[in-house]
Amino acid sequence: MYRQKYLFLLPGLLVLVAIILFPLLFTIRVSFSSWDVYNPGLNWVGGENYGRLWEDARYWEALLRLTGLTVGTVLLQYTLGFALALLVWREVVARRLFRVLFLIPMMTTPVVMSVLWRTIFHESLGPLNPILEGIGIGAVPWLSQSTWSFIAVMIVEIWQWTPFMFLLLLAGLLSLPNEPFLAAKIDGAGPIRTFLSVTFPMLGAISVGAILIRLIEASKIMETVYVLTSGGPGTSTETSSYYIYIRGMRDFQIGYSAALSLTYLIIMIVTLTIVAKLLVRALVRDQA
Amino acid sequence: MLTITDLSLTEAKVPHLSGLTASFQPGTLTTILGRTGAGKTSLMRAIAGLLIPDSGRIALAGSDWTRLPPWKRPVAMVTQQFINYPHLNVRDNVAFPLVRAGVAKPEAAAKADAALTRVGLSSMMDRRPSELSGGQQQRVAIARALVKKAPVLLLDEPFVNLDYKLREAFREDLVELLATETGTTVLYASTEPREALQMGDQIILMAEGRIVQSGQPRTVFAAPASLTAAQVINDPPINPIPFRQTSVADFGALGQHPFRLPPGAYTLGLRAADIHPGGPHQAEVTLTEVTGSETITHLRLSGQHLVMQEKSVVPRTPGDRLGVSLDLGAGLVFGADGARKEI
Repeated sequence: MYRQKYLFLLPGLLVLVAIILFPLLFTIRVSFSSWDVYNPGLNWVGGENYGRLWEDARYWEALLRLTGLTVGTVLLQYTLGFALALLVWREVVARRLFRVLFLIPMMTTPVVMSVLWRTIFHESLGPLNPILEGIGIGAVPWLSQSTWSFIAVMIVEIWQWTPFMFLLLLAGLLSLPNEPFLAAKIDGAGPIRTFLSVTFPMLGAISVGAILIRLIEASKIMETVYVLTSGGPGTSTETSSYYIYIRGMRDFQIGYSAALSLTYLIIMIVTLTIVAKLLVRALVRDQA
Repeated sequence: MLTITDLSLTEAKVPHLSGLTASFQPGTLTTILGRTGAGKTSLMRAIAGLLIPDSGRIALAGSDWTRLPPWKRPVAMVTQQFINYPHLNVRDNVAFPLVRAGVAKPEAAAKADAALTRVGLSSMMDRRPSELSGGQQQRVAIARALVKKAPVLLLDEPFVNLDYKLREAFREDLVELLATETGTTVLYASTEPREALQMGDQIILMAEGRIVQSGQPRTVFAAPASLTAAQVINDPPINPIPFRQTSVADFGALGQHPFRLPPGAYTLGLRAADIHPGGPHQAEVTLTEVTGSETITHLRLSGQHLVMQEKSVVPRTPGDRLGVSLDLGAGLVFGADGARKEI
């Protein structure tokens, strides 16, 4: 009789197996196969795909590039988002209007937004270069030169996801009690010191949450790269997800792309776990 | 010396302070007494720099503070709310103003420890404020204010949110603590006349954003300058009884009394302790409050609401009939303009 209680767990377990475990286990099995366009099926090849992956410099370069892109964009998104949130936190003229305006980029579809930015960055037809020329900076090879293409991808990512940081940090700021700020004024802390000693530490937990969510999301960047640069020029803006997409969906090397995906997944889980612990220690530390 | 001169302050078009002028000597404790909304907190906040006055001047030893930002003023303050830094432990909370003032962290921590020992929290230095009781949190705030050694210490009803017993104990502790703060100008805001009479070297009575009287507590209590001052300083509230003076003072159904006053309309301020049970006037009990060993009885007598104070616990219920006598000769007489008249 008592064991019947486990029957009630069955529907949930089945769903879990169906939507999480099965795809994962299937991918693991595929990664040990030579499944490709000429040789479809689960032909066992042992660790061949993983051996090939280890020597695939393009994959590791894409991962390194992704790390730079993710860390760079998320840090800038956090900084800008915090600054904007501070700007409209207190009594500012038309702050409600600004709060809505700042959120617009986040509401747009990434593909649509990337098409718009590709138009803006277009080196001869886009509106950005004439403006830069007008103010004396000169035209920039946004999408035809490696470094500038990388910067272009970063700009679009920052533009689209800074509002997310803004939203979370503003919610955090609005939830802070007013009393510690009053105490800080009396205790001799000016605006900058109050920010460093009161506002910032009190937003530690929210900051960690916001940064982690964005790190996870940013590490999956795909649409922006696909539409804006297609990973180019050359492979200068190719990220892990985009490279795995090329191997899997363009070259149809399913077995190999499964091995790439699983390796990427393990690296991300380990890295983000370490980053989360470091962030918690740095930002939500016990200040005793 | 801390001086405020013709200080006026309006918030949301409501006047909070109107032409306040006062001075506070170093090393004295001044109690600012007034009912809720009298302007005590506004005055404290204006001195601390948290509110900017519309006009007037605040100065310490001749140095003008009026437009100085709060973080540049040598002021410490304890408020009604238990204000601490939730993300810091108790020691760091108390050390905060010292660190901001540039004191080295080890020295600040040592001073914080000493201050916390003085307020009886030596065993709780590593806890967060949220792990403390309300009374302990307020002790942390007091320690933080004391450790700053500011020449001006503002205490804005610091114990109002504590229970009665704790309030009494804290008040005694605070008097002891402040005794060691030589040279500090202490302002203590309160709504409780007893507290004000116990604590201050000087008392300032406030009503509707104005100072209605100031002086030594006993003097002000014995001789309030106006009916408003008498109402502020008396707890239970003084009973205002209107009468008409002819050859004698005529109180209508309450009788007559041989005051020597020019003919006219007056108000007698009769303290609650000057109404006694047992007497010719039949009153109806409307409410009874037992506070400690005292009984405060609210009465209706000849259409007049009166409050009687007895130094004993007497069980009474609303609707009871009670004979009372009024010691009219012990009352204070106020003219039609509200000013007290000598009798």
